[in-house]
Amino acid sequence: MLSIKDLKVDIEDKAILQGISLDIKPGEVHAIMGPNGSGKSTLANVLSGREEYEVTGGDVSFLGEDLLELEVDERAQAGIFMAFQYPVEIPGVTTATFLKSAVNAVREARGLEELKPVEMLRLIRQKADMLGIDHKFLQRSLNEGFSGGEKKRNEMLQMALLEPKLAILDETDSGLDIDALKIVSDAVNQLRQADRSFIVVTHYQRLLNYIVPDYVHVLYNGRIVKSGDKNLALELEEKGYDWIKEEVAAGIPSL
Amino acid sequence: MSTALLEQQSETVMHFQQLFQEREQKLNGQANAPLPRLQRLAMDRLAETPFPTRRNEDWKYTATTRILAPAYTAGTEAELAAEQVKAANIVCLDAYVLVFVNGVFSAKHSQVYGMPPELTLWPVKDALKDDRFRPIIEAQLFHEENQVHNAFEHLNMAFAEHGHFIHVPKNVVVDKPIHFLYISETEDQAIFTHPQIIISLERSAELTIIEHFTGTVKGDAPYFTNVANRFHVAENANLKHYRIQDESVKAFHVNNTRVRQDRVSTYSGYLVDLGSRIVRNNLGAVLLDESTNTNFYGMYFGRGEQHIDNQTFIDHAFPHCESNELYKGIVNDKASAVFNGKVLVRQDAQKTNAYQQNSSLVLSPKAVVDSKPQLEIFADDVKCSHGATIGQLDENSVFYLRSRGLSDEQARALLQHAFLKEVLDFMPEEKVINASEELITKKFQGEF
Repeated sequence: MLSIKDLKVDIEDKAILQGISLDIKPGEVHAIMGPNGSGKSTLANVLSGREEYEVTGGDVSFLGEDLLELEVDERAQAGIFMAFQYPVEIPGVTTATFLKSAVNAVREARGLEELKPVEMLRLIRQKADMLGIDHKFLQRSLNEGFSGGEKKRNEMLQMALLEPKLAILDETDSGLDIDALKIVSDAVNQLRQADRSFIVVTHYQRLLNYIVPDYVHVLYNGRIVKSGDKNLALELEEKGYDWIKEEVAAGIPSL
Repeated sequence: MSTALLEQQSETVMHFQQLFQEREQKLNGQANAPLPRLQRLAMDRLAETPFPTRRNEDWKYTATTRILAPAYTAGTEAELAAEQVKAANIVCLDAYVLVFVNGVFSAKHSQVYGMPPELTLWPVKDALKDDRFRPIIEAQLFHEENQVHNAFEHLNMAFAEHGHFIHVPKNVVVDKPIHFLYISETEDQAIFTHPQIIISLERSAELTIIEHFTGTVKGDAPYFTNVANRFHVAENANLKHYRIQDESVKAFHVNNTRVRQDRVSTYSGYLVDLGSRIVRNNLGAVLLDESTNTNFYGMYFGRGEQHIDNQTFIDHAFPHCESNELYKGIVNDKASAVFNGKVLVRQDAQKTNAYQQNSSLVLSPKAVVDSKPQLEIFADDVKCSHGATIGQLDENSVFYLRSRGLSDEQARALLQHAFLKEVLDFMPEEKVINASEELITKKFQGEF
């Protein structure tokens, strides 16, 4: 589904990603962990289409297409969804209006008919119910004055509605209390299916108790230095990141 | 004033005088009826009052010479299909409707049945013949409390033939809005029209009016809508005033609206400016007693070469009055907008609450906004604030929307719409909000 080969990325002439390779098959959940500043968010942002990053080398292909050639909206239409760490507040646009516009834009791009207002409302309510979201929420301006947990829940609602093939969660768990964390992980678990993959970028292992990954990768200094299964995350939780840094410094091969 | 300007102005005034005389000659002995007498007086005043030029501080950004250049004649009623009127109407709005085609009242297209019997809605020319109303109208027309009348107001009074007078007696709440729909159409001959509404609300009366200006320029000749309104809101009365302007972008539009408010009265103005080549609005409220409430909400959206100039004035002379003012606008392409909002808080106006805000989005390098919020305070126990912001669309928001599949164009339109929506949300009448939103959408789609 997603194939990243030797991806190198700079920000303002500083090398952030120094050759990342990653292969994600349909239905897989990959967790990307690593200390602060390791390049986790850069990876997520480059995949989502942020323009302030300069790709200096490598390829990314998504369902056979060259992902890096697609505009941000084309990526969304092709089936990539990014749950942001800091969703933007947009006063004056109600959540409902935004969701309708987004769903119809994506449907149109995928060759489907626009939904009629009644069908749209039904769909939005159904997904909101599935995620335990109060309908009143839909009439509020998008993310305006939302708590951290509400914003993340709103991201999950968007994800549920847009039905992506690949969802990227960028530190969605940071700063959430356990209740909010459960809501996010419940949403992801409900949406897990054979043709949908997830990249879960996180600093903390705790989230992975709820979203059990198939693979865990550790990013350090812009490289994947270690990969494993969910047990790697538990090891990191117990021992911290220092032993990884020491291994890298000692030149111990990562895999 | 430069010689060239002087010459142009005297030519313009001579042209107006000639039109005026031609009309007078057709009156056949009616020249001494009350309206023609008032018009004669206004014409004399016009001859003495030069049109403002850019040298006048309040007109610095708007050239009246462009507005006055065409050789206008008075509009005459044109045949208009019922569908055309319907298309210009506000969808589903239950209102009394007065339609004016090229400035001429059209009984055929209007709908005024079932008005409350206590309400008077008469042509000014008839109301002036009635001893009850003449003094009220004259008091409204001639008062110059703290604001000297400009030449456009004299021009309006000299030529207004189809002005209307509304009188609402005390305690009467008018059940439906009164909708004044002004439709203009020109081909080869430039025309000017002079809409005029004079309102007198007695104690505890309530009224909603909607002015809607729309039109088409089919040939090269523009039209010029020159509005002058006078409203008096008596004690504890409440006037809501909507103004939707989506004239042809080849038209000119000047609107002078003066409001006088008595004790505990409320005036709320809601303005939507989308059309016209040049728009100039002067909206002023004079607060004549304590505890009044004044609300000015305006939104404007200019593109192409449009120029939209809003001048507002609120005169706080008594204690415990409150005024709220919010104007938001977008300019794109080579369009320009001006906001000059004056709030005066006189020495006796203690405990005044006055808030004023103007926010603009400037979306192209050649678009211009001049914003000048002015607060002059002479009292010491007041709460007042004012501010102006000028910015661009937030690119983070654009990115966020695009990351959900909206195209760049859709994302930007949605954000601009949201920016203006804040003003529309103050309107109590949902159908007017919907109609305004539809016009905004049409404008985004480049339909005018």
